[in-house]
Amino acid sequence: MQCSDVSKCYELLERILDGELGDEGRDILKEKLEKCQPCFEHVHLQQAIREVLKTKCPKQPLPETLEESIRKMIQNAR
Amino acid sequence: MSEVQRRKYSQEERTSIFDGEFMPHIDSMYNFAFRLTFDEDDAKDLVQDTYMKAFRFINSFEQGTNAKAWLFRILKNSFINDYRKKTKQPATVDYQEVETFYNSDDVDYQSTTDLRAESVRDMLGDEISNALNSLDVDFRTAIILADLEGFTYEEMAKILDIPIGTVRSRLHRARNLLKEKLKGYAQSMGYNTEEEEE
Repeated sequence: MQCSDVSKCYELLERILDGELGDEGRDILKEKLEKCQPCFEHVHLQQAIREVLKTKCPKQPLPETLEESIRKMIQNAR
Repeated sequence: MSEVQRRKYSQEERTSIFDGEFMPHIDSMYNFAFRLTFDEDDAKDLVQDTYMKAFRFINSFEQGTNAKAWLFRILKNSFINDYRKKTKQPATVDYQEVETFYNSDDVDYQSTTDLRAESVRDMLGDEISNALNSLDVDFRTAIILADLEGFTYEEMAKILDIPIGTVRSRLHRARNLLKEKLKGYAQSMGYNTEEEEE
């Protein structure tokens, strides 16, 4: 079984994953996951992408002098 | 209103806002700046300029509101006004155009193969990062704000000066584009895609 217009669903599902629909979103999500295979796969893929973006994207280390130079700049501006 | 705002904080208050509410975001700010400019020195300058502006206009910041969103907005505007011109990025395409182009909904369902969640989880940080960095700056920004920094649509609308509906559609396009990039990586690296199983 699948929804008639999955491409519309995808956008909605992404909003739900982004927490934009609150409790109502949780109910819709549950229903879609049970009833629509493409929705189910899309949600899992989107969750995986979010997860790796958050956990694996290398962070750029803060240059050591940056914080200090900002503080100096502000002091001079006072 | 702005007359009142102009002298609302004392010297002490300004210092406490700056140190307590602005400085803690320096790490996120620097990372955002770096992903916009791809250059350490430019990112540094951009963050410095942003903090300088934040200090100068501190009276237009409402204490207790979202300092991080306020700072990101300044940084993004500084980037557009001062840096976009001088960075070596390809001439920016008018994003309205790009948006319309990608609005031809078939981006969703162009291909028969789809990327699998497991393949994504197997990817290296650099692959994920490269895919993100290869997106046009407006799409890249949308993903950074939503997924790396966790801003809400409403906050993004304020940071980017666009309506929430535009945030929604831009983010959706951005995610589709990112997915396509990741799929490209997955296939070229020989990760498992559904096509290969057939």
